[in-house]
Amino acid sequence: MAILEMNQVNKFFGSGHTEIEALKPTNFQAEKGELIAVIGPSGSGKSTFLTIAGGLQTPTNGKVIINEMDITSLKEKKRSAIRLREIGFVLQASNLVPFLTVSQQMQLLDKVKKHNLSAEKLKELYQSLGIEDLLNSFPSDLSGGERQRVAIAKALYTDPSIILADEPTASLDSDRAFEVMEMLKEATTKNDKTTIVVTHDTRLIDYCDKVYNITDGRLSLKQPSH
Amino acid sequence: MFLAWNEIKNNKLRFTLIVGVLMLVSYLVFFLSGLANGLENMNKEAVDKWDGQGVILTEESDINLPQSSLTLDDYNGEGVDEYASLAQINSIATSDDHKSNVSIFGIDKEEFIMPNVIEGDAFAKEGEVIANESLKDEGFKLGDKLSLSSTEEDLTIVGFTNNAKFNAAPVLYTDLYTLQKVRYGKAAENYEDRINAFILRTDNLSDIEVPDELQVVDTTTFIENLPGYSEQNLTLTFMIYFLFIISAVVLAIFLYVLTIQKVSIFGVMKAQGISSSYLARSVIAQTFLLAIAGVIIGFILTMITGFFLPAAVPVAFNYLDLLVYGIVLIFVSVLGALFSIQTIVKIDPLKAIGG
Repeated sequence: MAILEMNQVNKFFGSGHTEIEALKPTNFQAEKGELIAVIGPSGSGKSTFLTIAGGLQTPTNGKVIINEMDITSLKEKKRSAIRLREIGFVLQASNLVPFLTVSQQMQLLDKVKKHNLSAEKLKELYQSLGIEDLLNSFPSDLSGGERQRVAIAKALYTDPSIILADEPTASLDSDRAFEVMEMLKEATTKNDKTTIVVTHDTRLIDYCDKVYNITDGRLSLKQPSH
Repeated sequence: MFLAWNEIKNNKLRFTLIVGVLMLVSYLVFFLSGLANGLENMNKEAVDKWDGQGVILTEESDINLPQSSLTLDDYNGEGVDEYASLAQINSIATSDDHKSNVSIFGIDKEEFIMPNVIEGDAFAKEGEVIANESLKDEGFKLGDKLSLSSTEEDLTIVGFTNNAKFNAAPVLYTDLYTLQKVRYGKAAENYEDRINAFILRTDNLSDIEVPDELQVVDTTTFIENLPGYSEQNLTLTFMIYFLFIISAVVLAIFLYVLTIQKVSIFGVMKAQGISSSYLARSVIAQTFLLAIAGVIIGFILTMITGFFLPAAVPVAFNYLDLLVYGIVLIFVSVLGALFSIQTIVKIDPLKAIGG
């Protein structure tokens, strides 16, 4: 059963002469346990794709269904609640709150959502990400790689069904980038999540179950690389 | 509260500045309130002291005590529990090098305007007075002979009382005849029954009937018509109200700038699904904390200053007023924060993550 489904989704920006179709009509499905890469150059519409998939913006036409729920016509308030429950974002720029320590980042989520990972599982998560010694550090004290790992921890902490990662490896060197992909892969298979990574970094496709290309707003499935 | 408090802890400087501004504003509000209260007391202390509900004055006096002139026979106490006659003049009293504005009250010793004596004795003979103790601070003492600006008569301080100022001048209480001597000199005998007002103690002021040329005024109206009293009060009250607006606006600006700075942080949190209302509540909670801190520090500073002020500064704190003003300050600060709420609501999480 598809956890994320997009039916004939497209997105126009602007109007009249300046109107552009950032995302051409797209059909897309993601299953549980899949790690999917969407690869394309900047301006190809991959961020538009990701933000529509994550309920951050509504498509012009078509339907977006997350976990059997049609979120297309929901108001921002409802979509916000669904994002909190179903989706973990790992963003290009770190999505950490600068005045909270690593462990406080997680506490903040406790304030707004119930049923997050248990203390035990959180500890495991910290260990698997190798950040168990950084819990009292502020984001400004962390390296880019460390910040990215904390961001992943934060995305996984709410136990979402879908992880959407926008250029998660952008600021990292190759070793770190592979490390981050390993972690996403592990989180996906071990906990039966669905992870979609949007990137222009073709080095990452080895980790993925499916790879899509996106150019000029047109999404197309690439043949499996392995 | 969690977000609010952690942000404060990690940005001590900027939040200290905000608390500092609030502290200064509340300090000024508290101080002005103390000053307003002090000046009010200076004007009406003696009126509070005689503890009456109303005053009979002449119609043509325009509720101005020195301008009202009537005689002891004009009223016989009909319809009231108690009444007292009062003759009053203003003068300058001099003793050696000391000089002071005074208000002289000519009263009947048996009537209720007669003050308590906290030092010395009550007046017994012609020319003896009970003075307000504030004259002691100006260097006057028991037994001092006072020469007056308007007459040859001398007065002698035989006792002191407290809390007796009228229209900012310390009161000298004396008997009616001494006052007439001060006022009319040798002709005093012809004017012995001339007084300025009757002071009334009664629960039903409106039932009192007086001839057309007289009027009954309640004590509040009488006080409000003391020369300069209302103008002074209005000015200070206006300043205090203006400070409320200023603190709301200053807070609004501060928080707005802070909110603008945090747009991307708020955006990221919103992308994650943290609701606008949680973020808004956090900003409100933060303002509340800052305002409480500012007001409390301002209050403590006010108390410390009040303690070290020389007695000549007419500051008297009414704690109930201060409490009310403190609460209003906190309230308007939070009101200022509301201005930033709409900004938070409008933040598009999409922009924050660079979509």
